[in-house]
Amino acid sequence: MEMKVESGKIIQTKDVSPSGMKIIWQEIKKDKLAMGSLIILVAILVFVYGASFFMDAKEIAKVDFLSIYMEPSSDYWLGTDYGGRDVFGQLIIGTRNSFTISLFITLFTAIIGLSLGLLAGYFGGATDNVIMRVIDFVIALPQLMFIVVVVTIVPVFNVYVFILIMTMFLWTGKARLIRSKALSERELDYIHASQTLGTPHWKIILFQLLPNVSSLIIVNFILNLAGNIGLESSLTFLGFGLPESTPSLGTLISYARNPDVLENKWWIWVPASLMILVLMLSINFVGQALKRAADARQRRG
Amino acid sequence: MTLLKVDNLKVHFPIRGGFFRRVVDHVKAVDGVSFELQQGETYGLVGESGSGKSTTGKAVVKLNNVTSGQILFEGRDLAALSRKEIKPFRKDIQMIFQDPYSSLNPKKRVLDIIAEPLRNFERLSPAEEKKIVQDFLDKVGLSPESIHKYPHEFSGGQRQRIGIARSLTLKPKLIIADEPVSALDVSVQAQVLNFLQDLQQEFNLTYLFVGHDLGVIRHMCDRMGVMYRGRLVEEGNSDEIYDNPQHIYTKRLIAAIPDLEPEVREEKVQLRKKLSAEYESSYSTFFDENGRAYDLKPISSTHRVALQ
Ligand SMILES: Nc1ncnc2c1ncn2[C@@H]1O[C@H](COP(=O)(O)OP(=O)(O)O)[C@@H](O)[C@H]1O
Ligand SMILES: [Mg+2]
Repeated sequence: MEMKVESGKIIQTKDVSPSGMKIIWQEIKKDKLAMGSLIILVAILVFVYGASFFMDAKEIAKVDFLSIYMEPSSDYWLGTDYGGRDVFGQLIIGTRNSFTISLFITLFTAIIGLSLGLLAGYFGGATDNVIMRVIDFVIALPQLMFIVVVVTIVPVFNVYVFILIMTMFLWTGKARLIRSKALSERELDYIHASQTLGTPHWKIILFQLLPNVSSLIIVNFILNLAGNIGLESSLTFLGFGLPESTPSLGTLISYARNPDVLENKWWIWVPASLMILVLMLSINFVGQALKRAADARQRRG
Repeated sequence: MTLLKVDNLKVHFPIRGGFFRRVVDHVKAVDGVSFELQQGETYGLVGESGSGKSTTGKAVVKLNNVTSGQILFEGRDLAALSRKEIKPFRKDIQMIFQDPYSSLNPKKRVLDIIAEPLRNFERLSPAEEKKIVQDFLDKVGLSPESIHKYPHEFSGGQRQRIGIARSLTLKPKLIIADEPVSALDVSVQAQVLNFLQDLQQEFNLTYLFVGHDLGVIRHMCDRMGVMYRGRLVEEGNSDEIYDNPQHIYTKRLIAAIPDLEPEVREEKVQLRKKLSAEYESSYSTFFDENGRAYDLKPISSTHRVALQ
């Protein structure tokens, strides 16, 4: 935005340059698909988190043999499963659980990946070497086998264990991404300038380097969020996910392993599958728009 | 008074290779360079790209690790100090960078960029800070309203002025200017150079001026050192070097300056041919068997040349 000088007086037109957030917002507004996705996403999340607030999870998880495999009706909007449990209720709680799990996995991996990536990239040398060897080690571990083993040996397999174990494996990609960006940023003179100006390393990392990798992080965060929703479901489907007592989208879909359910009782697994599809797609579309915004920002230098 | 004395400075970068990424060799970016800067003068380091000029300048501000040698600033050896111990000297020695595009953080407003050194060394209220920043903006010829803008809203020349303002806020004694105008349009180069000279007067600055353009260096500097492959090959007053070059590399550097007048052009071509022949025939008077320039030897009270 321009500043106008009128008769010697300086009139400042509000905040001067469009900030990163504003550019991102403008990019989403321009992109109809992303805008639509964002609206759908927010609507689903508000509804799911709102509705689950008034629902009794215990009530929904309670087995009722009098109402097994009921078709959708006015009592049970989406019918019931083999335990007579309300599928609609499970869908709401399941969506909430799946999304929350995905959010926390993404959040924790982002924190670990960001910290280690920035340290490795900024300091380079021995620090970088140690961190990279740790990453190599984690990547070399057979993930699925590890998960299977953990699922079998832990006494209580719950949401927290699940988040923990997924976080353990999934931070490496982020760390590498951030590291390579930080490696190239630290060769730029603005970092050198900060060093010669007497700014301590931690301040340079937090206040000079971090803002310049932030768009990369936001985009990566959003895209990972989508991926991690699918991840939980596919692991649950394979039987290494969450127990039935914790409704999740994966639990609902995994009922489809039963051929009878798959063929004749669509109301159990189709809504959950659609939910995953809609969530993943809409998050992805928003993420793609953000990615473009971030690129444009980089082009402008 | 001697402000800065660089004594036999060496900066060698390790080259890693092989399976275990062991050090297999070294790039001798700076290999035994000595010079002195008197308080208030401008000393130029000139040489072709890759000759180690920037590395020398960066060693003085500790952006590079020093392999060996001394960097005496007001008698204290900076090379021997740790990063922590060097902090008080940061106030006195500042750097202006070559590329005005990468030397300013694109995510920071001008206020934050110029105030960064102030925040590290002084406790100021936001109002005081803003006042100082605006004063310096005024000194470098930018409007005080610029503080809320981001670097991409400025031209290259303006950005370089912002970088200069940033380097001035702590009232340094010595400024290392690493090719401060070579990324700028020719039309703004002279402007920025003259303005650097004005600032020198006003703030009583000493410049270590790095450049590859002999014309610019001659215009700016009282004395200069000619660098070639990490070594100084000739040093003296600017006019001495320009009018009476002794080292073959200096001669070739001067002969390489493009000339616009056609009559002189033919002469220049002849001169370059002659120098090329001289380079072949007298190679051993200037370089030892490893192709390394000899140590500087005085040929007058001010003029030193790397001869056998
Ligand atoms: N960080 C570094 N690591 C390895 N080699 C370097 C590094 N910095 C500079 N060099 C090498 O040192 C030599 C001198 O570089 P430099 O001082 O930038 O030259 P100049 O500024 O005179 O163009 C070059 O060969 C360059 O490749
Ligand atoms: Mg250079």
